[in-house]
Amino acid sequence: MSLKPGIHNFRTKIIKILRSQGVLIGLVLIIIVASILERSFLTASNLLNILRQASALGILCLGVTFVMMTGGMDLSVGSTVSLCAVVAVSMMNKYGQGTASNSAALLAILTVLAIAFFIGVTNGFLIVLFNGRLGETFIITYGMQIVVAALALLFTGGQFIAGTFGTGLYQWMSSGFVPIILFLSLAMIMHIVLAYTPFGRQISFIGANMDCARMSGIKVSGIRILVYGICGMCAALTSIIVTSRVYSASPLQGNGYELDAIAAVMVGGTSQTGGTGGIINTILGVLVLGVLGNALNVIGVDANAQLLFRGAIILVAVGLDMWNKSISLKESAK
Amino acid sequence: MRPLSSNLRLLHGVWTFVKQKTSKRETSVEKYILEMRDITKTFPGVKALDKVSFAVKQGEVHGLVGENGAGKSTLMKVLNGVLVPDSGTIMVDGVPMTFRNAKQAQACGISLIYQEFNLVNTLSVAENIYLGFLQTGRAKFIDWRRVRADAVHLLENLGFDFNVREKVQNLSVAEKQLVEIAKALSVNARIIAMDEPTSSLTQKEIDKLFSIIRRLKERGITIIYISHKLDEVMAICDSITVLRDGHIIDTKIANETSSAEIISKMVGRPVDMKYPRRPPIIHGEVVLEVRKVSCAGFVKDISFSLKKGEVLGIAGLVGSGRTELVEAIFGARPLQGGDVYIHGRRTSIRNTADGKRYSMGLVTEDRKETGLALHYSLADNIVITNLQKLCSGIFVNKKLMQTNVDQYVQELGIKTPSSRQAVMYLSGGNQQKAVLAKWLFSEVEILILDEPTRGIDVGAKYEIYLLMNELVKKGKSIIMISSELPEVLGMSDRVIVINEGRKKGELCGDAISPEAVMSMAIQ
Repeated sequence: MSLKPGIHNFRTKIIKILRSQGVLIGLVLIIIVASILERSFLTASNLLNILRQASALGILCLGVTFVMMTGGMDLSVGSTVSLCAVVAVSMMNKYGQGTASNSAALLAILTVLAIAFFIGVTNGFLIVLFNGRLGETFIITYGMQIVVAALALLFTGGQFIAGTFGTGLYQWMSSGFVPIILFLSLAMIMHIVLAYTPFGRQISFIGANMDCARMSGIKVSGIRILVYGICGMCAALTSIIVTSRVYSASPLQGNGYELDAIAAVMVGGTSQTGGTGGIINTILGVLVLGVLGNALNVIGVDANAQLLFRGAIILVAVGLDMWNKSISLKESAK
Repeated sequence: MRPLSSNLRLLHGVWTFVKQKTSKRETSVEKYILEMRDITKTFPGVKALDKVSFAVKQGEVHGLVGENGAGKSTLMKVLNGVLVPDSGTIMVDGVPMTFRNAKQAQACGISLIYQEFNLVNTLSVAENIYLGFLQTGRAKFIDWRRVRADAVHLLENLGFDFNVREKVQNLSVAEKQLVEIAKALSVNARIIAMDEPTSSLTQKEIDKLFSIIRRLKERGITIIYISHKLDEVMAICDSITVLRDGHIIDTKIANETSSAEIISKMVGRPVDMKYPRRPPIIHGEVVLEVRKVSCAGFVKDISFSLKKGEVLGIAGLVGSGRTELVEAIFGARPLQGGDVYIHGRRTSIRNTADGKRYSMGLVTEDRKETGLALHYSLADNIVITNLQKLCSGIFVNKKLMQTNVDQYVQELGIKTPSSRQAVMYLSGGNQQKAVLAKWLFSEVEILILDEPTRGIDVGAKYEIYLLMNELVKKGKSIIMISSELPEVLGMSDRVIVINEGRKKGELCGDAISPEAVMSMAIQ
């Protein structure tokens, strides 16, 4: 009936903390090491800079988190960002000259939100139609990624679009604190939805055991379709912030975003099999990758070598996750 | 990588050796082939085995019974080296042994056949038997002809008859079991422990398994038979050991004891009745009426009705369409034809959410796959069927959730350290109660229970029967599917019998007899 006292107990406690708070500890370690190596790292302006850069991808990660909580995957978000980017910027170029810029921005934003929602819902519909599990969501959204990428390229004829529209609302989207506030407030809303509303609890439960969710009278199909739609809309918001910052759009704008987002979500600790993790985890994951990238830049690590660190930290995070799972499996094996 | 022919020769050798030994011993004092002395195994927070001493005679079938969580599985895992005990000794043929892993135990002639098979579905029977010991020819390629010949030889020896090229996934559960037995014998097992070997077998397959067990026994192979099904244990075992809460309670010679005695030792109290009585409480009102319901390939033109306060039993063999029928009514499966009326009103139920809206709840037959999200907490699992009930505004009120969950945990007597506990750590009986709690929480009027007592111990079964009585007393209606005939007969007010997707008859009151049900179920 007794636990072994002393050192053993202490060790299990440490392991427990490491298991649950690994990402946070990693984040703090990176910050400490970086600020020791380079003083300019820990300045207000640099930290703000990190947040600003992380925000655009962060919003995408929020959507991907929802999808991954249901035990799915969305690879189409990268090209959705591209398509939304070229559509929004060309709309702005056409209608957003001078004083018309603000209303055009609103129109552009709403349009790309609708387009992205439609793409997401289509994903969700196909997945539900085939009663898809992780593997099917992977291949279906990959197919969608290719289709949407092609649409983006066809839309511009493969050309890069430079911004010619007037400043205003659209430009404001990436100025100062706006992207940070946008990211954090959206994160807060989505966290509350996921953790405290019936809709969110059902999302997590579907990821935990989809068959059980269905047998419990949850509208699994409807929820899954909606979740992919939400994920698409997050991609649209990301495209607005990115294009607003660079004042242009490329049909390849979002290339690779889907994998960056999935990596950040997984580093945060949301499991790709669904049901565990959440928005707070994703914020941490986004910050870890964002802070790491910035720290390596500030310290002056060669760009190619930076990739090494990035890859390593993803591997470490996935390794930790698997280790964690094997421990809980052992615990349940008795 | 031992050559196989020599393996078989060795096997034969062991048998003859064993036979000689037993014949010599007949006159001398009985000796134990296996003795486990003072085995203690502690997990964090739990003493799973407390100084357990367990001895098995050469060539007997020794039953090991006990409620879930009594320590049977732990004891068997210690025996076959998967778990290392904190203290205690294991002696095989009087020689102390230490097993660090399953391979060492296997080398000593001990094999454990798990409830969930350790077979590779996509490989052939022959490959599965010799997995890890595949015979290679000259150029280090696998000598398939020899592997197959060896497998055929081994199976023939055992009196099994099937194609060794067949993929395991195409075999029935019973056949898979035979492959497991053959696999154990291929590595010269002298002691075979079987964990719940009949849990998914039909009566015919059980009879076949028993005849094989008897044959193995004739050959001097010792069997440790772990099961919940007491009548089977009484039928096949020579002696029976009862475990409770990590202690050995008693070991009895099978024909010197009775099931009643064994049950009372298992649960630690005398059990007077298997099925609790309830006064007839059926109200006239028909809550559910099913008319000519069909479901592709499984169910054809089935009609029945369910009254308020009634327990309707659905009897039939596994695969007769019982599960598909209730799934279709609940909305988990599309209906191909026919209508479902609730309180006299025609319904269109297209999904499980509709079924729930019409106040139906389905406790599925597989609680681990479709009943619970295993790594979620007890509380999360219970409330998932009706989150709206807990909402203040648009948010789930955690306090309200806690009081609700506590209420059902207490009402159903779910044993758990806290409602935050992940359900995978609960015992089978408590998990089953958790699935029931889900639907009670959702306040459904019609409860459909598909095999509500499968794989749970006697005590928990009785509690579930009591709960069912309590529910009908409150005016709920219950449909119960069960493979255990006595359970259907003991609990139902009315029984309908399904055979090959069709309704074969309906029995009521005194007309419900095992003979009547069985003849309809297998005609």
